[in-house]
Amino acid sequence: MENLHIKSTEDTPEIYFSPDENKFYISNKSLPEDAIAFFHPVFMWLNNYIDKPNKENIFTFKLDYFSTSTAKQLVKIFFLLEKLSEISKVVIKWYYQKEDTDMYASGLKYSKLIDLPFELIEF
Amino acid sequence: MLNDLSFAFQLFEGMEKDNLSYIYRGLFTQGVTDKIISLTETNLANFGESSKMKKRVFSIMVEGLQNITRHQDVLSQDEKSGIFVIQQKKNRYYITTGNPIAKDHIPKLTGQLDKINSLEKEELKKFYKSVLNDNMMSNKGGAGLGLIEMARKSGNKLTYDFKKIDDEFSYFYLYTEISVSQNTEDKDVIYSLTNIKQLHNILNKENVLLIFNGLLNQDNLINLLSIIEEHMAHALLLKKRVFNIMVEMLQNIVKHGDSFETDKGNSGIFFINKKGNSYFLNSGNYINNKKVDNLKLKIEHVNSLDDKKLNKFYNDRLFNFQIDSSKEAGLGLIELRLKSKNKIVYNFYKINDKFSFFTIRTCIEYNA
Repeated sequence: MENLHIKSTEDTPEIYFSPDENKFYISNKSLPEDAIAFFHPVFMWLNNYIDKPNKENIFTFKLDYFSTSTAKQLVKIFFLLEKLSEISKVVIKWYYQKEDTDMYASGLKYSKLIDLPFELIEF
Repeated sequence: MLNDLSFAFQLFEGMEKDNLSYIYRGLFTQGVTDKIISLTETNLANFGESSKMKKRVFSIMVEGLQNITRHQDVLSQDEKSGIFVIQQKKNRYYITTGNPIAKDHIPKLTGQLDKINSLEKEELKKFYKSVLNDNMMSNKGGAGLGLIEMARKSGNKLTYDFKKIDDEFSYFYLYTEISVSQNTEDKDVIYSLTNIKQLHNILNKENVLLIFNGLLNQDNLINLLSIIEEHMAHALLLKKRVFNIMVEMLQNIVKHGDSFETDKGNSGIFFINKKGNSYFLNSGNYINNKKVDNLKLKIEHVNSLDDKKLNKFYNDRLFNFQIDSSKEAGLGLIELRLKSKNKIVYNFYKINDKFSFFTIRTCIEYNA
């Protein structure tokens, strides 16, 4: 399967999904004007990936900042990953900067609401 | 004065509604200067200005900003910081800079300015060359050259003034008008230097760091965020919270404001000021009267909830995909409450049968 690589801009995150390397990253800032449109290719890609996934998948979220409209799209990604976890192993690594208690709280919130193993990691 | 929300509206009115204008007040670092320049680039492009006008505005702005960064080292207290103002009306741009300078420099500066103003176009060119030669010897890097350049590029005389700060320092104001045509009709100088001096006084008093009045779109939002990011030397968390709230406030306007007398987009005003241990973020924009009641209900509801209920409300809305838009779900408003830890202050001013002007203010406290 082809990699998904979307480079970051001033208001959108970097997305790097590479099944061959078994790397799945979402990083930087996310405050797109139209979050639904921005994340659409990500859902499309994940939907395809679920058909033939790796045995173990670590999804890394290393976001510096995200807007509320992004928050909702993240939930949609997590839902797809829940689906993926029915057939293969999924772990979420949620990174936060030491002082950024808000980012930590967001990770904690998702970990409680989503049925996936979350690791909250300081960086 | 700022305790009254109408201040936002007054500023907006005073800044001539849909005409572009913005003010930065504070320390001018290289970073801040760069961001101000890119904010201006975005807006010149938005207005579809000719490349001739763009170049003029650009070079005058750069010279003005360099003037401030060169001479601000003398003072660094918060309340005595420099100011940069750009305003646009019809096909004219007005750029004003104000910065503290030592009193001793006033006579020399006045001499330079008067000399420049006394010269015609060709003479200015010659003068520029001779100063350039002299400057090879000096170490201050182009003293006076910037001013000559501004006069040449604007095609107008330089207006200037001084205002005493204390026994040692004064503000030096420099006001330049840039117009492509030499058409002098309709020269009702709304943006006079006197107005700006008064405004500067208010902004100093209220400790306003940034005012933006114009088209609120994603590009401008990004530029404004980066100015604030450069400006704030605070702890990461506070910086991020301010950033957070700015994004939600401004994206709300981008997505759900209504445009008034223009089809270019939603215009509005945003300003940020600091009082005591609090940052106040204020925005104002037009909205259709039909939306007023519903919006009022939403804000009142969010204001009525305590932290626990707010979090629950947030989670409910986060998972509600019936309406797949965070605004409809009210996430943005909940976020304002959660991140600021304060109630949202708001007001609606009815403008006419169709529109109201909606102002909103959030406050973030921090531990100094």
